[in-house]
Order: sequence, then structure tokens, then C-alpha cells
Amino acid sequence: MSKLSLSFLERDGNGSGRVEALRTQALSLSLSLCGLINIRRTAQNMKVLIPKKSVSIDPAKKKKSKSPSRAKTSVKGKSRRRVEPIATANEGPNEHEKIEQESSEDEMNHEDLVEDNETHQSIEGNESSEDEDFTRTEEIKDSNEGHLLGDDDEAGEAPPTVEDSDSSEDEVPSRNTVGDVPLKWYEDEEHIGYDITGKKIKKQARKDKLESFLAGADDAKNWRKVYDEYNDEEVELTKQETKLIRRMLKGRTPHAEVDPYAPYVDWFVWDDKKHPLSNAPEPKRRFIPSKWESKKVVEYVRAIRKGLIKFDKPKEEPPFYLLWGDDSSSTDKSGHGLSYIPAPKPKLAGHEESYNPSIEYIPTQEEINSYQLMYEEDRPKFIPRRFESLRTVPAYDNALKESFDRCLDLYLCPRTRKKRINIDPESLKPKLPSRKDLRPYPMTCYLEYGGHSGAVMSISIDVSGQWIASGSMDATIRIWEVETGRCRKVWEVDEAVQHVAWNPLPELPILAACVGQDVLLLNTGLGNDEEQQKIKELLHVETAAVPDESGSTSIVSWLQHDKHEGIRLKHHKTVSSVEWHRKGDYFTTIVPGGDTRAILLHQLSKKLTHNPFKKLHGLPVSAVFHPSRSMFFVATKKTVRVYDLLKLSLIKKLETGLREVSSIAIHPAGDNLIVGSKEGKLCWFDMDLSSKPYRILKSHPKDITNVAFHRSYPLFASSSEDGTAYVFHGMVYSDLNQNPLIVPLEILRGHSSTNGRGVMDCKFHPRQPWLFTAGADSVIKLFCH
Amino acid sequence: MPKHYRPPGKKKEGNAAKYITRTKAIHYLQINLSTFRRLCILKGVFPREPKKKVEGNHKTYYHMKDIMFLAHDPLLEKFRDIRAYDRKVKKAIAKKNKDLATRLLTRKPSYTLDRLIRERYPQFIDALRDLDDCLTMVHLFASLPAVESERVQVKRIHNCRRLSHEWQAYISQTHRLRKTFISVKGIYYQAEVEGQKITWLTPHALQQVLTDDVDFNVMLTFLEFYETLLAFVNFKLYHSRNVKYPPILDPRLEALAADLYALSRYVAASSRSAQLKPNDISSGPEQAEVKEASTADESDLRLAQLQHQLPANEPGALMNLVEDASSENEDDEETRECKSLFKNLKIFLSREVPREALLFIIPAFGGTVSWDGDGAPFREADESITHQIVDRPTQGHIFLSREYVQPQWVFDCVNARIILPTNSYMVGRVPPPHLSPFVDNEAEGYVPEYAETIKRLQAAAKKQLLPMPGMDNRDLDDAQNLLVEGIIDRTEANEAAEKKRKMAIREKQYHDELKLELQGITYSATLSNKDVQSSVEDKVVDASFPDPEQIVEDTRNMSQVVMSRKKRKLYEAMRIGDGRKKAQINLYKQRKKKADQASK
Repeated sequence: MSKLSLSFLERDGNGSGRVEALRTQALSLSLSLCGLINIRRTAQNMKVLIPKKSVSIDPAKKKKSKSPSRAKTSVKGKSRRRVEPIATANEGPNEHEKIEQESSEDEMNHEDLVEDNETHQSIEGNESSEDEDFTRTEEIKDSNEGHLLGDDDEAGEAPPTVEDSDSSEDEVPSRNTVGDVPLKWYEDEEHIGYDITGKKIKKQARKDKLESFLAGADDAKNWRKVYDEYNDEEVELTKQETKLIRRMLKGRTPHAEVDPYAPYVDWFVWDDKKHPLSNAPEPKRRFIPSKWESKKVVEYVRAIRKGLIKFDKPKEEPPFYLLWGDDSSSTDKSGHGLSYIPAPKPKLAGHEESYNPSIEYIPTQEEINSYQLMYEEDRPKFIPRRFESLRTVPAYDNALKESFDRCLDLYLCPRTRKKRINIDPESLKPKLPSRKDLRPYPMTCYLEYGGHSGAVMSISIDVSGQWIASGSMDATIRIWEVETGRCRKVWEVDEAVQHVAWNPLPELPILAACVGQDVLLLNTGLGNDEEQQKIKELLHVETAAVPDESGSTSIVSWLQHDKHEGIRLKHHKTVSSVEWHRKGDYFTTIVPGGDTRAILLHQLSKKLTHNPFKKLHGLPVSAVFHPSRSMFFVATKKTVRVYDLLKLSLIKKLETGLREVSSIAIHPAGDNLIVGSKEGKLCWFDMDLSSKPYRILKSHPKDITNVAFHRSYPLFASSSEDGTAYVFHGMVYSDLNQNPLIVPLEILRGHSSTNGRGVMDCKFHPRQPWLFTAGADSVIKLFCH
Repeated sequence: MPKHYRPPGKKKEGNAAKYITRTKAIHYLQINLSTFRRLCILKGVFPREPKKKVEGNHKTYYHMKDIMFLAHDPLLEKFRDIRAYDRKVKKAIAKKNKDLATRLLTRKPSYTLDRLIRERYPQFIDALRDLDDCLTMVHLFASLPAVESERVQVKRIHNCRRLSHEWQAYISQTHRLRKTFISVKGIYYQAEVEGQKITWLTPHALQQVLTDDVDFNVMLTFLEFYETLLAFVNFKLYHSRNVKYPPILDPRLEALAADLYALSRYVAASSRSAQLKPNDISSGPEQAEVKEASTADESDLRLAQLQHQLPANEPGALMNLVEDASSENEDDEETRECKSLFKNLKIFLSREVPREALLFIIPAFGGTVSWDGDGAPFREADESITHQIVDRPTQGHIFLSREYVQPQWVFDCVNARIILPTNSYMVGRVPPPHLSPFVDNEAEGYVPEYAETIKRLQAAAKKQLLPMPGMDNRDLDDAQNLLVEGIIDRTEANEAAEKKRKMAIREKQYHDELKLELQGITYSATLSNKDVQSSVEDKVVDASFPDPEQIVEDTRNMSQVVMSRKKRKLYEAMRIGDGRKKAQINLYKQRKKKADQASK
């Protein structure tokens, strides 16, 4: 406290500092110390301390306190100030006012405190204090007049009080010795602390509130009673004490007799001292205005003039204005050269989102239950509900969630421009020439050739187009007359017939058929006698020669067939197909399981067999001769190889890209070929163009069994296990710049599926646009235009 | 050397240089994820899909230019400032440096978004185009409670309310509203402003459900942008009508609001919007509490409005008049149609009716409206009221001079653009199904029954306006009779129409069969009930085939054979889609049939 007051003094540089310090001291004391009783104690201390400070010259304190002369001036100043209001001096009225204000404020505070006890008392006190104030100023005046010599009554009285009370703490020893600890610590204890002998001080029995109130109401002196929490006792303030307190609240010295402004008594003996304590003259700077301060002032003035310091708040601009005043200036869409992709708009609500949708939009309970069985992604997000009236519609649970999801979509989803095809699916279909213009082509079933009892595996039409041969699973080979459907001839063989083929020469009506491991060359008995004679000669094998040959080569043995007149070529494994050369002398047979002897070339006139393809890549499926040149096509499962028969060399390898080739056919002009596959795809190769397919047609859902070209019309067909045959228009132009035109024409149905097999073979009539199909339902059908 | 190897001195090229993952972008910008998110939302930057994802498939990629765009934005610096400032305040508070903290709090760095709006929407039309989400969000927040724990402050909710009311006031006054739809999710509105169709959703006026699985930070960032955008859009729209934008409150009303404790700022906001609507004083239910400001003060209020609307100087006032006149001419036909839909109707809303929506819609279509409560322009007892909108099981006291209808009637009338007959919307009845105006029934392939009815009524209404002597269509005549005389019940008319249609179908079937017989085919049951076949029938040249359906499929198959694989796949996908659609329609038909059977 003393330190604080000192610092105040120093800072002030005026005598008023001390008074102020005292005032603040009293104020802070009154505020900080909780109990009035404490105030009482300190007041006593004050009484002692204040005179000490002001009067005594402690060498130790000299440094801290002002020099005697300064102290003197301070007292002078103070006294002068006190007089001012009366003398109406022109200096420092502001400061005085301020002090007055403060004091009045202090009074206010204290009044509040006092009011709790009794209001009228405080008013009285106020009045009395004013009186005192007045008297005080008079006193000071007196003292001023009376000069420094004034040995007042008060001043005279003061020294004795000083001697009376050396140490205030000793005087009133508190009962409790716990010291300055929070009393909270003893809240739950039975005692409040310890007395000086170390014994516990028990808490007094708590009085009932009502009781204490009643007791208080009766007692006139109750307002003087104060409860001391620290010592747990009730203290009655004496009249003197209350007076003391009141004075302190006013901010005066507790004791009326103390004169804080007692004239300075210079106790120091100045005489006979050679050196002064300080003989420095008062510096000039104390008398002239501070340069630094004026500089600062100038600085501020300049700042204000420049507008750097503003006293009014910045003017608020209107937050909204016409942002799009002129649209002309903004032509560029994106600021940074990237295309802006606007977010897609949310989907608009449909009928089913209505609060009262039509009855047909509401799923039944079973349907709602069935949603539970669906995958979560497939499950409908929104289940329509129906409300009878608008008032029954509740708040939507997911409103916030959906809005949030939308937000996430807006800033988290990558945006890309997707071309949305909004077209009629029909427009995807290629523009094809009308089918009517491409007539004639086979359309309707005209005839059925019935008689086989098993699936017809293969058919073949003779060159004249008059006869058709068929081989069946029921181990018969039949010859039918095309136009009437009459069965002309039946051969019964030992095993199921895999393939039949007419000799392409019109004067040699020989039929080749694959039966198990044998290939039979049969005389059909057609043609005139001269031709018959020739055929019989051709189909004669010298029996003697056979064993030698078979013994030596052991590839194929040429034998005379016993039962039917003809030749039997015995292979080592099952033969799948036989194809004639266009000149009718050579033919080839395929033995799929034959490894190095899979593809054999036979010469009918010499009864000779060659095996030119010793090394094959992949399993052979089919082999055909070129219709005009000496070329040979071998289709393996993946590829088609083209060989030159004269040079016996590979010309070309065609990559089909198919999984498994099942059949192959060559355009009569020889430059195009089609390949059917077991996955239902049809490849058209233009051999001049590329070794890759020119076009792949996905026509059948099941295996393609056979493909065929018409010899004169621009037609080709495919037959499949699914019981259908497709007829296509396949126009090949002589102009090499023009690509072949392929148009699907017709799907031919009629064969019923048996054992999962449908149409086994299809062949065109050599001259007419007719198609023969052989079905697994043991019927051969003729489709005409 | 691997193909992707890049020598050390060489720069990145292609997708690797063009695109950057989010994490890398954040590192590049030296900000944290939440700031990056805010920045992206405010700047409208979104991830993009690179052709080749260099860093992996499951990452988000931003275009490098977008990131540079963010990096050069002053907002980024501003966010950094704010972050630093927040730290300073926190530090001051933690060190109990109270005066520093208070001094700092007066100097909080702030930012504005107007530059961003101009940047994102260089033209006004762009802003209108993107307004859907904005309006939906603002309307949603306008109906939310303040969530202090999620930093959803009352102030913002009031602001949203004010903005939404301002928008609605403009739309309603200029008669721009086109379609409305009550869905389970809320009420959809569609307006047409400067040729742009703007659709928004307002939640039902009920206590909204707050869910936990929502990140309010994201939503509030969006809302921040949307609020600013909508305010500027409103400014522009009001400016185009020569109305001062933040609409100034009537001082008397404001004073009242200060006096009455019950009137919070909330009301002030709604009364602001009300000020622009001469016909409907307010949208807020609390408005009713302004007792003095209602009937007595209305004329004063209007005067005040007029003063606000007319600029102070005289030429301005003239301009206003001119513009009003010109706008009258400029109105397109649709606007004129909308303006006059409820022109002669005086509609009264009962207490239980959702007032806010109807007070918006009815004036937008030229109607006069009042409600039950103080401050209403006219009372329930007014004799000139033509319709009263009621949503209760029974109506006690009935004025014979007016019709009592359910709220759905208004919405259906608006969508159909005609005044519908009210008998099916009467009190206590279940109203006819409420259909969405956003669905093109023809394109969808399924026309609900009530849509057909409405269509017929529309045709009839048009014919009534423009009588055409030459036409002799019985069907139309019927409907017209129905409308004019009001004798025939709507359902009866419906039945008649249905019967007629069935007859027509049967007739057509008969003809088809005859044709078939002529072609030499015996009648087959499968042929009898399919329309598709009969249409196909004509295409088939030779009718000697037993199964025409097969032929159709064959022709399709055949054309498919020649297609390239890509096209074929596309075609198949389209067909699957069509199939799904058809299945859905069949399901609807089936349900309808069942329901009909059950009701019979």
C-alpha cells in the first residue's frame, strides 16, 4: 500500500498526490476487505501510520520520498488548491473538478454500503461531513495564514497518538490463528481454527434466521452488530468506531484529530553543516513546456489533418448494388480459360412424389416388402404415400439430408460433359436398300422332303439342279427329285452319314458320302448309258492292287464297295467332310482327329491319295477348293489358310477372330469368302482388302452349322442350330473401289428343334434362287422366292 | 526404359501436368482442407475427370488451371488473415489480455462476395440459370430453427426469410409464377424470369427435422454464397421495377415493432416483404399481431409504398409510369394468362390452411386474398368472397354465396390454367389425385385418368372462349355442356368418355379382324387385344405368315445383324430402357385395374 501511494506521489509531481493516495488507499481498503471489522482494524493502523509517514524523517525513506523542499511545496500546493474554490484561482480548475468528482463517486459507493444498515444515518453523516469539510478548509486557511509555525491543537495531539500505538496488530489479537487462508477450508469442519494455544475453536451454534431476525428487531443497537466470520463472533461496534468508519468512508483520516496537512517541521538542523544535501537549482525544464510533448501533439494534428486518424466510424457502403448494370462489358464466359460446366439441375418431381398421387402410383404392401429383397442400389429411394388431405402431410424427414447431398454433389462430384444420345433407337439402324428391290430370294417354304427317320446331316444338289442327295443319322443316303419331292433312291449304309457331295461334273453323277471312317463314292445311276458305262469304269478298283497300296501307304485304302456299286475309301479315323474339286477328278476329305493325316487329297481317276499338309496349325474344320484357280482353303478353328496347290505353298492367312470356325464358303468369283462360327457369328472376308474380316455379322444366337453362296445370284445363307436360316444379299462389285453390299433379307423358319439341334445344312439351288435346308427334325425343306 | 519414365530435367506433360489431386492441391495452396473446401464452394471450382488418371483411380482430380485460379484469388489471402486474426484473439484471451482482445474484436477482417458473383455469373441471365439450388437452400433455411450448437444463427435464418420473401414478392407481383406442385417433400414452384425456368422447393411450414448426418459447415458456406447471390438478384429485379432495394420499412410499423415485445426482427423481415405486396400484407403469421398496422393503417402503408416506389424527382416518377405501361405491353401471353386466372375471385383462407404458400400463389395469378386473423384486408363475413379455402373435416357455418374448397383446388387450377369445377374439392371429400405439372404425360407413355379429365376441361374452356362453328365433335360438346350447365357430374362425363374410347377401340379391333380374315388367316386370340400388332400388320407385305409378331422381331433382328457392335450395344441398351419404362407403365395399368375392380 505504501509503495503504491509513493509511486502515485512521484508520478503526480504535485502535492495532491499524497491526498489522492490516501483516498485511494481508503477506497481500496474499504472495497477489498470484506468485513467491516477489518476496516476497523486497519483504520487503527492508519491512524498510526499516516502521521508517521507525513511527519517523521526516516533516513531510509528519504530516498523514496521527496526532498524536504519538494514536500514543502507539495503541502503548499495542496493547501493552495484546497483554498481555490473559495479564492477562485484560475489555475488547474480541471484537476480540482476531477477530484471532486471522484470523491463524490466514492461517497456514492460508500452510501451504498451504509444504506444496507440504515439510510438516514448516512444522510446525517453526509450533512455532518459537509460541515466538517467546510470547517476543514477554514482550518487550512487558518493554517495558511498562521504560516508554518502553526502548532495547532491537532498537530499537538498527533504525536501522542503516535506514541500510543506502535503496532496495531498487537493491540487486538484475533482469537483465531489460522491466518490469511480461505475460510472455505473450514466450511465443513466443526471448528473454525485454532487459538493461540493451539486449541481448536469450536463453531458456535448456528442461530435460526427467524430467531436472529427477531432478536435484531428488538435490539436497537442491532445495526452496529457485525458478524466476524474469521473469529466466528459477533462484534458490536462502539460509537467511536462507527465514527471512525464513517470518516474513512468519506475518505478522510480516521481520526478527526489527525491533521494530514500539518505544517512541515524541518527537524533537520541546517546550521553548521558545510555541505548541502542538494543545492541544485530547480532545472529549467520544470518551467518550460515539454518539447517532446509538443512534437507529439504536432504529429497527432498532422495525422488528423491527413485523415489517418478518424474519429467517426467508417461510412458503411450499401452492401448490395446493381451488380449487373451493363452486361456489355462481360463477354468472356470463363475467367481462366476453362470451360465452365454447369451443374445438372435436380430432377423435377413426378406424379409419384405428390402428396396425393393417383392410386396406381402407390405400391401395395407386398411390393414394398419385396423391395427388401432387392439389392440396396436397386431399391427405390422414394416410396410414394397418399395423404387424404393437406393438413395430414408431415414434415419431410430427409429435407436437410437431401439438401446436403445436393451440396456435396455440387462441390465434390467431378463434372464432365456427357453426350446424351436422345435419339430414336430406330435411327441407329443402317439405311439398307429395300428388300423388295433385292428380289428374288428364298422366302417361303415350298416343299418338304420327308422320309428320313433321323436328323439329316447333309444335303447336296447335283449340277443340273434336278436331284438332291441327303445323308442322315439313320444311316441312309437318299436321292430326291427336286421338283416333285419324290425319293428316287435309298442306300442303306452301316453308320450315320456325316456329309454328302455331288460330283460337280454333269456327266459324272457320282455321289461322295462320309460314313463313319469311310468315304463312299456311289454311282447314282443317273445319266444315259454311255455315261453310266464311264462311271462304272471309273468306280472300279482292282482288288489285287488294293492290299498292296493299303499296305504300303496305309493312309487310305481304296476298296470296292461290296453292297452298293462304288468305291469305299477306308480312313484311319472318322471323316467329317468331303469336297470335290471343280473339275471332278480330285476331292478332299477332312479327318478332324487325324493329326498329320487330317486333310487328304484324292484323285479319283488314278485312285491315288496325297497328304500334302503334314503340318497343320490347329484342328482342321473344313477345306474347300477355289472355284476357278488352283487354290485351296483350309479352315482351322481360328484361322483360314490359303494354299497354292501347284506350288504347295501358303499364300495367305486370314485371321477370323472367332472362337471356333464351323464352316466356310467361297464366293463364286473367288475373292470373297464367308466363315461361320460356333458362336453364331458370320465373317465376310474380302481377300483383296485385308486379312481381317470386312464385316462381322452377329446373326444367330446358336452355332452356325453351315454357310453357302449362291452360284449365280448375289445371295448367301447361313443355317444354325437355333432352327433358322438367314438369307443375305451379298453383292460383290467388279469395281474394286466399291465394297461388297451385305443386306440381310430373310429369316427362314420352319424346322423344329430336336435334341437341341436345328438346321444342319443349307444349300442353294445351282440355278434358281432357292434354298434347301436340312433339319435335325429329319425333314429337308425347299424355300422358294 | 519404362514408357512412363520422365528424365529428371524434363517437365511433366499431358494429364500428369494438367491435373492435380486434391491432397496435392491443398499442399500447393498451403491451406487446410476446410479452407480449401470453402474456397472451392465460393469460387465454384469442382473436380474434373481426366482422361487418364495418373495418380490412381480413386482420387479426386482438379484441373491445374482451376487451382491456379484459386491461388490468385484475394479471398485466399483474406482467409489467411482471418486465420491469423483468430489466433491473435485466442492468444489474447488466453493470456487474459482483455483490452487487446476487445481492441482486436473491433477490427475483425471481413470479406465480400460480390466480386465472386460477378466472376461466376458475368451476365444476369447466368445467375438466373443457376438460381434453383440457391432458392431451394434459402427457403429451406428460412424454415429451419436456429441451431446454436451448429452455428446456425437466428440472424441468418431471418436473413433467409427476408430474402425468400423479397423474391416471392417480386414473383408474385410480376405474375411470373407458372407451376406449383405439392409433394411430400414440400411445395415446388416454377417461375419464368427472363425466359429462364426457375424451379425451387419450399418445405412444408412445419417444424423441420434436424438430422445428425449433415455437415453444417458445408451447408453454411453454400448458404453464405447463396444469400449474397439472391440479394444481388433481388436488387437487380427490384431495380428493374424501379423499387428501392433493401425495402425500407414503414417507420410507423417499425416503431410499433419496437414497442411490441412480441414483434421481433423476424416480423420486421416479413413485414418488409409484405410492404411490397399491396394485396397481401404479409406472409408471416406473426404479422397478425400488428393490430394497429393492419386495416386502419393500410392506406397509409400504401402511400408509404408508393413513395418508396417512385423516386423523388418527377421525371423518375414519369419513367415509372411509362415503364409500367410498357411492361403491360411487354408481358407475354403466358403472363397475361396467369395474371387473369383468378382475376374475379375473392378468396378467403381459413385458419388451418398453409397461409404462406397461398398468399404467394393467389396474388401471383391475379386473385384477391384474405385470411382469418387480424390485419386481414377483409373479413370472413364479407359477402363478396367467392371462394373460401378450408382444410378441415367438416365446415360448421356455411355462407351460401361462396364455395368451400380444399387448398389443392388452387394448385390444380394454377397448373391447369383454368378454374376447375369445385365439386370434387369440397370439404370432407378426398380430393382427386394431385398430379405433377412437370411430367410430360405423352412422352412418359402413361396418362393418369385425372390428367385426361383436366385436358378435356381445358379444351372445353378454350372452346368456350373461341366458339368454332365448324367443329362437331361430340366429345368436346359433352365437356362443354358439363362446364356450362354444371349439371352432369364430372365422373359421369368421365365415364361417358371412357365408354366412347372403349367403343372406338373395339371398333378398331373389329376392323382389324375383318382385314385379317380377308387375308385368309383364322382369328387367333393373341391378335385380339394388342394394338401394336394391328399397327404392324400394315407393314407386312405378305400376310401369309402365321405369326406377325415373329415378323416384327425378325425385321428388327435382321437390321441388328448389320449394325456395328457399338451401335448394336447402344441399341440394345436403349431397348432395355424402353422395356423398363413399359414395364413400369404396365405396372401402373395393372394397379389401376385392380383398384378399379376393388372399388366396383
